[in-house]
Amino acid sequence: MREELEALRKQAVELLDAAADLDGLRELKIKYLGKKGPMTEILRGMGKLSAEERPRIGQIVNDIKSELTGIIEKKTEELEAKALEYKLAHEKVDITLPGRQPAHGHLHPITLTLREIKKIFMRMGFDVKEGPEIENDYFNFEALNLPKDHPARDMQDTFYITNEYLLRTQTSPIQARTMQSLEPNTPIRMIAPGTVYRCDYDATHSPMFHQVEGLVVDKNISLADLKGTLELFLKEIFGSSVKVRLRPSYFPFTEPSVEVDISCVICGGKGCRVCKNSGWLEILGSGMVHPNVLRMSGYDPDLMTGFAFGMGVERIAMLKYGIDDLRLFFENDLRFVHQFR
Amino acid sequence: MLASLEWLKQYVDINIPVAELVDRITRAGLEVETVKDLGAGVSGVLTGKVMEIYRHPDSDHLWVCMMDYGQGIVQILTGAQNVKQYDMVPVATVGATLPPSGHNPDGLKLKKAKMRGLDSFGMLCSADELGIDSKLLLPEERNGIFILPPDTPIGVDVKKILGLDDIVIDIDLTSNRADCFSMIGLAREIAAITGCPMRMPELEVKEAAGGDIRELAAIRIEAEDLCPRFAARMLKNIKIGPSPDWMKKRLRACGMRPISNVVDVTNYVMLELGQPMHAYDYDKVEDHTLVVRRGGKGEKLVTLDEKERVLDDSMIVIADGKRAVGLGGVMGGLDTEVTSATRNVLLEAASFNGPSIRRTSRALGLRSEASGRFERGVDTILTHNALNRAAHLLEEMGACETVSGIVESYPKEVKPAVINTTAQVISGRIGMDIPVGEMVRILRGLQFQVEENNGNLKIVAPSWRNDVTEAADISEEVARIHGLDYIESHYPALGMAQGRQSETDDVKDLVQDYLAGAGLDEVMTYSFINENTFDKVAVPAEDGRRKVIPLINPITDDFKVMRTMLFPSLLSIANYNLARQAERVAIFETGRVYLPQELPLENFPAEPMRIALVLSGRNRDLSWCCKCGCVDFFDVKGLAEGLLEHLGVEGYTFIRSEEVYLHPGKSCDVVLNGEKIGSFGQLHPSVSGAYDLQEESFVLEMELAPLVQFATRIPKYSHMPKFPGMQRDISVVVPAGVTDAELETVIRKHGGELLKDVVVFDLFTSDKIGADKKSLAFKLYYQAEDRTLTDGEVDASMKQILAKVAEEYEGKLRE
Repeated sequence: MREELEALRKQAVELLDAAADLDGLRELKIKYLGKKGPMTEILRGMGKLSAEERPRIGQIVNDIKSELTGIIEKKTEELEAKALEYKLAHEKVDITLPGRQPAHGHLHPITLTLREIKKIFMRMGFDVKEGPEIENDYFNFEALNLPKDHPARDMQDTFYITNEYLLRTQTSPIQARTMQSLEPNTPIRMIAPGTVYRCDYDATHSPMFHQVEGLVVDKNISLADLKGTLELFLKEIFGSSVKVRLRPSYFPFTEPSVEVDISCVICGGKGCRVCKNSGWLEILGSGMVHPNVLRMSGYDPDLMTGFAFGMGVERIAMLKYGIDDLRLFFENDLRFVHQFR
Repeated sequence: MLASLEWLKQYVDINIPVAELVDRITRAGLEVETVKDLGAGVSGVLTGKVMEIYRHPDSDHLWVCMMDYGQGIVQILTGAQNVKQYDMVPVATVGATLPPSGHNPDGLKLKKAKMRGLDSFGMLCSADELGIDSKLLLPEERNGIFILPPDTPIGVDVKKILGLDDIVIDIDLTSNRADCFSMIGLAREIAAITGCPMRMPELEVKEAAGGDIRELAAIRIEAEDLCPRFAARMLKNIKIGPSPDWMKKRLRACGMRPISNVVDVTNYVMLELGQPMHAYDYDKVEDHTLVVRRGGKGEKLVTLDEKERVLDDSMIVIADGKRAVGLGGVMGGLDTEVTSATRNVLLEAASFNGPSIRRTSRALGLRSEASGRFERGVDTILTHNALNRAAHLLEEMGACETVSGIVESYPKEVKPAVINTTAQVISGRIGMDIPVGEMVRILRGLQFQVEENNGNLKIVAPSWRNDVTEAADISEEVARIHGLDYIESHYPALGMAQGRQSETDDVKDLVQDYLAGAGLDEVMTYSFINENTFDKVAVPAEDGRRKVIPLINPITDDFKVMRTMLFPSLLSIANYNLARQAERVAIFETGRVYLPQELPLENFPAEPMRIALVLSGRNRDLSWCCKCGCVDFFDVKGLAEGLLEHLGVEGYTFIRSEEVYLHPGKSCDVVLNGEKIGSFGQLHPSVSGAYDLQEESFVLEMELAPLVQFATRIPKYSHMPKFPGMQRDISVVVPAGVTDAELETVIRKHGGELLKDVVVFDLFTSDKIGADKKSLAFKLYYQAEDRTLTDGEVDASMKQILAKVAEEYEGKLRE
């Protein structure tokens, strides 16, 4: 019986060693260790053995069983690893094919620029105000110290609806609207973004464009505060290396009036086509609120002072993104819109 | 305005380089737009005399000239036909350069040339070749070689002779600085900025004609509100002729064409002092009287440009004893024009009301150097100076003798503003401590009179600074001359505050972000549209949306009226892009529409914000791995649902829409709180056709305000169930007309409280189930809060549902 068992073990070990795949191994396991296998057969004949022999043979059978089980486990692991390796080796995809992107759209560059401007000012404590696009003469001009027949009205070619109503030429009327909506002499810190219209249509003028107005009114507000605030804003939006300069100018609703220039963002101030070799770019108009404007809106100019500013959103977007044609904003060619995010 | 540097230097020393001057005046508020060297590109061009001239033996158009330009006699060929023997002309010698011009777009460097066998050692030049604008020349100077005056010296750089050795700066003058609209005004400003002294021009008049103008002419102002001051001088024995070269050069440098001495002097004095003037032929002025009055209704006047003008009572008319002879400050009349036959001249210098001049020049389309100055305001003090200066110049030229005295009317003397303020107020406004001594120095430099006492300032503005009326104006003068660069930045000392935007803006941002996130591109379209838009989108004639706000002065027909609907603008954009090979157009806009309460407008119209979107073409970008079809109704519906859910709007319903521009079978109105807030669906084929879009194009337009009102911005958390739920599928066959919504309603109503959700996941039609039938499959989600469900409970619910579906819609379980 011992010889029989040894032959069986030897045969099993050989076959197991030679097993090439998991299916074959499973068959061998059933064959040698299953209930109907030769081992069971042998054990069934144990009754014929002596009482001393029986446990010894039993021991041998158990040893063989556990040896074979061990081999099978090891072999299974080996073959599984091999099978996995084979599977992985045959599951290669062409990783150069493009991925499946979820659909994503694009916001318009004017929206992106407006949002950035608003965000910067809101962080500085400015509220965002609005006003109507169809304005009356009073708020668009008169309340801003631009009486009828003022020559400065020529600076803005106006679309008229009636003698009284017009398309606002600037966001400045929101200055007067804001002051008149408050108790006189209430401190103000606001910006007012919006769409404005001028009767001008060529390569560098659009009949519709966007502005952001700003107004700060309090006690002891000065030109130095204006400079500080706008410098902070311009460095946020164009980067901290940008230089800012004020240049005297004229707007009927501010006194003193100043143009704010930044060092050219294209050439860094060395001089290029965009800055007409001056090294500077005109970026916004501003000034100390004219006493008449405060007076007309019920504020006391001897008590309260303030500064106001207005900027063109398209101009800022053009400089920021390097867009060279104003008309692109309203043409809405999707190949243009797709470039912004 | 254009300013000649050569001319300016007569009144103020300029000891700094041009670039520095330009920078300093720009920083003081006079923005220099361009600096032009009139002689840029011109070199080696000398004056030369034609000593001999004969035809080229082998050419019928070339001439051979023997030229003397101080270096012996040199042979030069020319094709010009206007040169005669002994003419003085500009000669470009070999090696000379000429600037880009009409003749030589890239400029020219002169070389020895051979023409039909003869050598030419240079070139005779036309004005154009020297870079002179032909508009500034007399007609006879424009064509052919520029013939110089016969007394021009030989061999001199022509730049000197023609005034091309000058530099002209172009200043973009702000409308408050009328006082700088002249050479004297600029010189005054430069003197204040650089600290150099200034000189005034000679005003002395000889009055050699004697007599007394009061006996020869009269003037009267009948419209005092339109004319604060009117004055005149009389010139006798006029000899009309050309102006001297020095004057012509200056006029041309400043962009004015020399005409004849009298006209040129009036222009010259206007450019020099800022006072526009007019010259009348004295003998043609009826009664030798000039009256300033309002125009009569329908009164007519033929102006200098030979056009008949119809006047009205807002215009300033200068009349003689009988009729209008000029539009004050705008243009003179033809009848009394100074001509070569004129013997005596009445010279006018006046102040006119700016707004009236502005209205008149706009109404008649007549804008001139004079009207531009009057619009901004002319210093009333100038009238005498201008008359005297003009008389002085004409006397000096030997062109006239002046009659003694001036006639004038000046009913109400204009008083300069007196401003009382303190150094502290000025410093406070600027935000910088400027010593009071410095303020006084700056103001006196600008010719303000200043009395200073312990920081208190009493300031009298000079007559030409009518823009300065209060302390704020003084602060500007001090700041700009002191230098804005010296102001140190400071932050306003304001309390802490949180800047906010409106809730509407918040919701608008959410809408934009949602739609962009869902794959749509944002566009921005003009608020004005063409009225034919309403025909294109099939809006009926009586529809309220045709009640549009029109512009009085639109730029083009496409921008004529304010839009009342948003999506049509997007259809044009879709068309634009599809025409440029875009395969997928998915665009949106958030923008205002303009709805009048009445027309013509008497109140502010409503300007509600709308959301519009358009889908056309593919439903996704082309991809190798995804099936790509065309957009359909459920794409636009999904966006509508998704948007409303994203905003947390509850209680909305979709009902079949009757919008004329939509496909009646594939469109919905969105109803919220009992009100229609928008519509969406497939475009009506007639509309997609009108915009050249695919028939299967989809739109949505919705109001933003109700979404702001009903949005729930902060979601409320509800806890997740602790016990497992159960899912069942059910597929029912119903008559084709039964809707998904009807079935879902029955299922939810009769499914019992354990039924938490129903999702339709299949729609099936087939002859096998009957042509008039359809099958819908639902997944039912069951859940109890307090226990694990048993099959029995769910079975009972399913049974109940099936019974009701059978009862209400003849529905059967699909086998």
